[in-house]
Amino acid sequence: MKGVLRKIFHEVRWPVLFFSVGLAIIMALLTALLPKVLGDIDKVFEKLPFIKPIITALLGMDPGDGFTAQMMQAFLWVHPTVLSIIWAHELMYCSRMPAAEVDRGSIDFLLGLPISRWRLYLAETIGWLISGATIICVGVSGHLIASSMLQPQMRPGAFAIFCVVANLFAVYLAVGGISFLVSASSDRRGRAIGIMFAILLVSFLLNFLAQFWQPAKQVSFLSVMEYYRPAAVIQSGSFPWFDVGTLCGIAFVAWLSAGIVFRRRSICTV
Amino acid sequence: MSVICTENLCKSYGSRRGVGDVSLSVEAGEMFGFLGPNGAGKSTTIRMLMGFLKASSGTATILGRDCWAASDLVKEHVGYVAGDVRLYSWLTARKAFQIVGEIRRTDVAEAGLKLAERFQLEVDLPVRKMSRGNRQKVALVLALAHRPRVMILDEPTSGLDPLMQDTLTECLRELAANGSTVFFSSHTLSEVDALCDRVAIVRDGQIVADEHLSTMKHQAPRSAVLTFRSEQAAKAVVVPDFVRLASANAETLVLELVGSAVELTKWAATQAITDIAIGQPNLETLFRGYYNVPMPTAQRLDSDEADFGLSGYPGTELKSVEQL
Repeated sequence: MKGVLRKIFHEVRWPVLFFSVGLAIIMALLTALLPKVLGDIDKVFEKLPFIKPIITALLGMDPGDGFTAQMMQAFLWVHPTVLSIIWAHELMYCSRMPAAEVDRGSIDFLLGLPISRWRLYLAETIGWLISGATIICVGVSGHLIASSMLQPQMRPGAFAIFCVVANLFAVYLAVGGISFLVSASSDRRGRAIGIMFAILLVSFLLNFLAQFWQPAKQVSFLSVMEYYRPAAVIQSGSFPWFDVGTLCGIAFVAWLSAGIVFRRRSICTV
Repeated sequence: MSVICTENLCKSYGSRRGVGDVSLSVEAGEMFGFLGPNGAGKSTTIRMLMGFLKASSGTATILGRDCWAASDLVKEHVGYVAGDVRLYSWLTARKAFQIVGEIRRTDVAEAGLKLAERFQLEVDLPVRKMSRGNRQKVALVLALAHRPRVMILDEPTSGLDPLMQDTLTECLRELAANGSTVFFSSHTLSEVDALCDRVAIVRDGQIVADEHLSTMKHQAPRSAVLTFRSEQAAKAVVVPDFVRLASANAETLVLELVGSAVELTKWAATQAITDIAIGQPNLETLFRGYYNVPMPTAQRLDSDEADFGLSGYPGTELKSVEQL
């Protein structure tokens, strides 16, 4: 497995570095700028009432009449740029094995070596977990550096940040697990990424529509975003066991299914 | 015990059949040619042997182990080269030795460097800068470096120049001399003829012949060119049943000899001929015969192989030249 891990490292080290640094910069900027941008959010709500459902959808809860400083920081964790960077890495990474390998034909080289498909898949999984943890940790460090420059009452507590990061990583696991499953069933990387992008978009829209459309609310449990509510976590200060558990459950089932599909399927590159 | 063994191996893609009922047995130290045109099912069979494809039915084993269920164990002893080698753009031969060595849990760098020298391969050049032939060399070096007990090659010479083809032939002969088994797929008869002891011919996913090359050469037709004293004499000839008429051109008849040369010379001695030339056994004709593909007319009349025309082959009724 060491050889496969070395190959993965060769392939993903630069993208992971770029995504990590990018996320750190974005999170630092958002941490510093959000209080200024959202300072007059009540007036924005009055002038542009349609903004409120968008913010509500992004936060996963109704911010109520007043935005606290810490609630503003919650907006950072659901900002589309932050989620986009994490998911872009995830879609690129999880579509590598086997979809991209089959697509470019290089899987013949890998499968010609004495390593089982399960081991290949485990090596990819290790790379996925480490790269995801790296990107999120470096991103969080950007946030922490920037928040150290804010007034103390504007910073969420360390435990709250830990809970939100855990919730975000659980989302990363769930999205990655589903991406692996789509990739394992596909021979084309573009198709796998397209399907995953559509799933994420529907998930995002469902979560958004559920705020003001009853039919969407009834099926919003299908959206992974339903289980990611940083504002509620920061407000309550308690660990989101149910959300994290649900996301980890989705991740495990999807990841295991992907492994089984990859183990059993015929690989055709010609 | 056979090193490579398949029994009634089938692979279907929905309603389309890739391979049907392939049974093969290849022994240790044998150089086995797997011959067939494009789309005949060679690669599908090889991909089932390598555990890439799951057989629809039948079994495939290498060194007694199931090629699908114990694929990783099987491949500890197998070197494999795909026909169309596709590698990672960043990969160099040197990095590949390290990665492959770690996966195989054996140092392949030393043997790899020696092989790279033999194949005139730059070990620090990334794949993205390599020609197709050099990529093929990387795959060959990686497959040979751990001295496999079984070498499976799927049309490995595409992209290699003739000198490198000779080097590959040398390497494979050395491997076989040390007891390894070589399974060599090709659609080019000449390279199989030059390398292999035994040949299986596959057509439409089925084995239509599986013989030692020496046996095949006995079965292969030979050409005989008879020059008669006059065109009339040539036209009046009634060809005996141990030859078939391939073509007639004025006083010259090109015959395909299916019997012995002795019979032909005895018969020719009774004819009004001025010259007779008997060619070597031609596998090309036999090979084409399995596919019912006639030799191109120009080739028949102009080249050496022209002598081995397939008109009327196989099973065409014999006619006199006059009837023709």
